[in-house]
Amino acid sequence: MTGSGELDPDLAQRAIEYCYQQGWSDGLPLVPVSQPLLEEFLAQTARDPNEVIGSLEAVGRDCTVRLAALNAALAGCRPEYFPVVLAAFEAVMAERAARGGGWQSTSGPAPLIVVNGPVRGELGFNAGGGAFGPGFRANATVARSVGLIVRNVFGVVPQVLEQATQGVLGRWSICLAENEEESPWEPLSAGAGLPEGASAVSATLTRTCEFVDNRHSQDAEQVLWDFADTISRTGALIFKDTSCGVVFCPEHAQLLAAAGFTKAAAADWLIEHCGRSGADLHRAGKDGLSENNVRFAAGPPRDGEAFSRILPSRQHVPIVVAGARNAAISMVVRVFGLWSGTPVAVETRPAARGVTAGLAAGGGDGRR
Amino acid sequence: MPNAILDPTGGSKEAPASAALAPRRGGLAGATVGLLVNTKQNADIFLQEVGRLLVDGYGAASVLARTKVAFAQPAPDALLKELTTECDVVITGIGDCGSCSASAVADGVALEGRGIPAAVICSDAFRGSADAIARLHGAPGYRYATTPHPVAVLTPGQVRERAQAVLPDVVALITAPGGPA
Repeated sequence: MTGSGELDPDLAQRAIEYCYQQGWSDGLPLVPVSQPLLEEFLAQTARDPNEVIGSLEAVGRDCTVRLAALNAALAGCRPEYFPVVLAAFEAVMAERAARGGGWQSTSGPAPLIVVNGPVRGELGFNAGGGAFGPGFRANATVARSVGLIVRNVFGVVPQVLEQATQGVLGRWSICLAENEEESPWEPLSAGAGLPEGASAVSATLTRTCEFVDNRHSQDAEQVLWDFADTISRTGALIFKDTSCGVVFCPEHAQLLAAAGFTKAAAADWLIEHCGRSGADLHRAGKDGLSENNVRFAAGPPRDGEAFSRILPSRQHVPIVVAGARNAAISMVVRVFGLWSGTPVAVETRPAARGVTAGLAAGGGDGRR
Repeated sequence: MPNAILDPTGGSKEAPASAALAPRRGGLAGATVGLLVNTKQNADIFLQEVGRLLVDGYGAASVLARTKVAFAQPAPDALLKELTTECDVVITGIGDCGSCSASAVADGVALEGRGIPAAVICSDAFRGSADAIARLHGAPGYRYATTPHPVAVLTPGQVRERAQAVLPDVVALITAPGGPA
């Protein structure tokens, strides 16, 4: 073990300041990357460093494996996280919203990354208490890597090509590991044809996360009504339909499961009950629908009592379980666009696996 | 020698300043005016009114309106080809969001490159994005017309007033060699 006495903080600070001066930083200090560190990252994958893994057509820029590795190192990842970064980036760039202007949007959406499978424990991803962060290196740096790729490789910089009006709290920092151990339901990555025991990453863009604190009722329908109220608020409605996920805490998920709700049944209940009356929509100036299904202020109400549902299918209501089992507090997640729900398998190079195996994930005990 | 600190950007993002403007025709008499409508709220009313005013007041012969469905992306090649084949000048907009302001300017630069004078109309809140994409496409300082923000919430009557107000800049962009004074 190297004692801190052998390290040179003055040299480190100069290197960090150099990175700031180049305009590479999201505001926080970066890890200056040298060729040997980059090589360690590239050794974690069998993929060609020159392979293009994502493109932003609007700006004519491509991201290669090598540039992704460089930005993951810059973000503070350990080399062994790199296969998860690759999967996360691939998953988020598979979303239409990310390719179609999301990074430049006035809404400033944040990637929401979900990690499933044994890689959570192997690399120390937190699935338990404080699942939305901060405090855990794997979660924080994988999410930050995506942000640095968008900034540095795609060149989408705030107030220039990035036009977020206010931005979103948690942008570039939301990477959840699903609490599979305390979830009563199948994991988010299930049903995609991945091999048993495979690790996978799913991702979408979110406009914000809003808590639902219901430590008040043991009645599943009362709890669901509390979610429906948050999901149905008019401020979040722009188009005819919306997409809204729920990251249930273990307590809420277990309460619903005990009452007979499968994941699909919980989604179906929300599809049926979320929405607003014509009078409510009129009051907020969102009662009209254009040809493109954009809401607008249509004038005097015509059918004030009619109820408009806003979640058209189960795909519009993705459900994940994360967090500690210490309170009935869950998170509603506003999806930007529509989540394809497609998980990407984490591909580790066989020789690079297993070094850090044995760390526990889940159970409110996310260690690293 | 210590190891070098590696550059995470992959190099310069800006094309050399090489993009050329299309030759101007001096006036609009007899011209076919293309409207490239990006589907942002009120863009259709805005551009249709600009087209109508160019026909009524400047002698343009006709208007050809086309819609760009994916407002965040540059216009597809086939659409640009149709506009350059059928039109003498093109008006495009409204650049009223982060991605669509950038892509509207990208379309303007692309049309100029194909020999068609273009007037891009953006909300004035998106100059940063519009200027940045022009630099990326090798057209630093590319000139476009602006209308005050906001546009989306305006009534149809207010939108038509905006079209009237921006008209002199639009005309200057597509007729005067140096763009609007």
